[in-house]
Amino acid sequence: MTAARLGPRLLVAVVAALALLWVAPIAWMFTTGIKPAPEIFALPPTWIPQRPTLDHVHEVLSRWPFLRWALNSVVVAGATTVLSVLVSVPAAYAFSRLRWRGRDAIFLVFLSSMLIPLEVNVIPLYFLMNRLHLLNTYPAVFLPMIGMPIGIFLLRQFYINIPGELDDAARVDGCGNLRILWHVILPLSRPALAALVIYMFTFAWNEFFWSMIALSSPQMFTLPIGLRALQGAYDIDYGVLMAGAALAVLPTLMLFLFLRGSIIRGITMTAHK
Amino acid sequence: MRRRYGRIVEIALFILPFAAFWILFRLGPVLYGFFISLYRWDPLGDAKFIGARNYLNLARDPRFWNALVNTLEFAAIAIPLIVGIGLVLALFIFAGRKRRVTTWLEAGFFFPYLLTVSVVGLIWRWLLDPDFGVVLITLRDMGIDPPVFLNEPRWAIPAIALATAWWLAGYRMLLFRAALEDIPDEFYEAARIDGASGARIFFSIVVPLLRPAILFALVLTTISGFIVFGQVLIMTAGGPGRASEVLAMYLYRFGFEYLEMGQAAAVGMVLFLIILGLTLVSFRWLGYESSL
Repeated sequence: MTAARLGPRLLVAVVAALALLWVAPIAWMFTTGIKPAPEIFALPPTWIPQRPTLDHVHEVLSRWPFLRWALNSVVVAGATTVLSVLVSVPAAYAFSRLRWRGRDAIFLVFLSSMLIPLEVNVIPLYFLMNRLHLLNTYPAVFLPMIGMPIGIFLLRQFYINIPGELDDAARVDGCGNLRILWHVILPLSRPALAALVIYMFTFAWNEFFWSMIALSSPQMFTLPIGLRALQGAYDIDYGVLMAGAALAVLPTLMLFLFLRGSIIRGITMTAHK
Repeated sequence: MRRRYGRIVEIALFILPFAAFWILFRLGPVLYGFFISLYRWDPLGDAKFIGARNYLNLARDPRFWNALVNTLEFAAIAIPLIVGIGLVLALFIFAGRKRRVTTWLEAGFFFPYLLTVSVVGLIWRWLLDPDFGVVLITLRDMGIDPPVFLNEPRWAIPAIALATAWWLAGYRMLLFRAALEDIPDEFYEAARIDGASGARIFFSIVVPLLRPAILFALVLTTISGFIVFGQVLIMTAGGPGRASEVLAMYLYRFGFEYLEMGQAAAVGMVLFLIILGLTLVSFRWLGYESSL
C-alpha cells in the first residue's frame, strides 16, 4: 500500500478517534445518570454501568417540575421562533426586493446591533419588564429575543439571490408586494426559513442569563434555569445532576439524530456569508 | 405623488414590525441603560441623580478590575482556542469530505454546540471534580500530577475556557468548512502544479481566502467571550474566592444580590463599549471589505 493511500485512511482514523473523545463527555453524562451512587464514585471509574438504575431519573421527575420546565422551554423557544420569522420576513423583503433611498444604510444600522448582546441589556430590560408587569412570565423571556438582526440578515442574503424576473412577471400579472412575497419569494426561500427557525429555536432554547433574571418562580423556569436550580439543591450529587442534564439533552439528541443533515445545513447558513 | 406616499407607507409597514421589537427591546434598552447608570436606585423605587458616580465607583472598585482582568484572561484563552480548534477541525473534515463517515464525525464535533450552557457547565464540573472527576483520575493514572483545576485560582479560568472551547468550536468548524468549500478546486490544483507544499498552500491560499470567515468568527467569539456567564456560574460560581469572577457575574451580583442597579447598569455600558471597541479594532486589523 502506498503512502498516498495510507494517508487519507490514517487521517480518518485519527479524526474518528478525536471525534470519539469529543463526544465522550456526553456519554459520560448519560452513564453517570444511570449509575447507583456508590458506582459513580468508584475507583477506577466504570465506563459501562454495572448495575444501571433509574433512581436518579425518578428523583428528578418526581421531586421537581421537570416536565413543566420542558414545556416552558418549548413555549419560550416556540414563541421566539414564530414571532421572529413573522417580523423578519417582511423586513428582509423590504431590504432586498424593494428599492428605496437609505435602504442599505438603515439595514446596516440594524445589522450593527449584533454588537448589542442581550447580556448587556439585562438591567434596563429588567426595569422595562417590571414596568410592563411582565416579570416572571413567558413574554418577559421571549420578547427581547425577537428583534435579532440575524433574522433579516439571513433572509435578505437569500432573497437577494432570487432572480428579479420572477417579481417582474408577477407584477405584470398585477400582483402587489404582499402577494409577490407570499406566492413567489416565500416558496423559494424554504432553506433560509428552515435555517432561521433552527437558529432561533436553539438560541431561545439555550438562553440563560436573561431567563435567570426574568424568571423567579420555579414553575416558570425553563430547562437551563431549572438545571441550575437542581445544582443548587444537590451540589455534588452527580447522579441526580447528570440524570437531569441527560433528560434535558435527550430531546435535542433525538431531534439531531433524525434531522442531522438539515440542522447542520441550517446552522451553516447562519454562519456563512 | 400619492403613489409615492403609498410606496413609502408600504415599505414602512414591511419594516415596522421588526423595527418595533428592535427599538423597544434592543436599541431602546441601551439608551435606557445609560440613563439608569446615572442614578442611584433605592430598592423602594426612589432614584437620585448622581451623574458619573456609578462609573467612578467602578473605577475605584478593585473587585471590578479583578472581574475585568478575569474576563480578559478568559477571552484571551478561549477565543484563540475556539477559533483555532474550529479551524483545525474544519481542515480535517474538509480533507476527508469524500468519505461518508465524515458527515458523522462532523456531527459529533458539532453536537456539543446544541447543548445548553447549564448542561455544559454541569458535565465539565463533574469531569473536573477534584476527587472523582474522570479527567483528573485519568491524568493521575498516566503519571501526571494535575492541578485541581476548578479549585485552584490559577487554573479555574483556563479550565472554564477549555470547556467553552469544547462547547462552541463545532459551530466555528461549520463556518470554516463552508468557507473552505467555497475555494475553487482549481486554486489548489494550480498551486500543486507549481509545486507548492501543503503548508505553503495553507498559508498562501487557504488563510487569505478564509480571511472574511476568520474575521466573522473572531467577532462572534469575542462577543460571546466578553459576556461569558453561565458556565462560570455553574463550574466555579466565580471562585475559588473571586479568582474567576467575570464582568457579567459582577453585573449580576451588583444588580440582583446587592441591589445596586445603577452600578450594574454602568457595568452593562462598559461591556457594550468594550465589545464595540474590540469589534471596530478587529475590523480594521483584518481589513474588512464590506461584502454586504
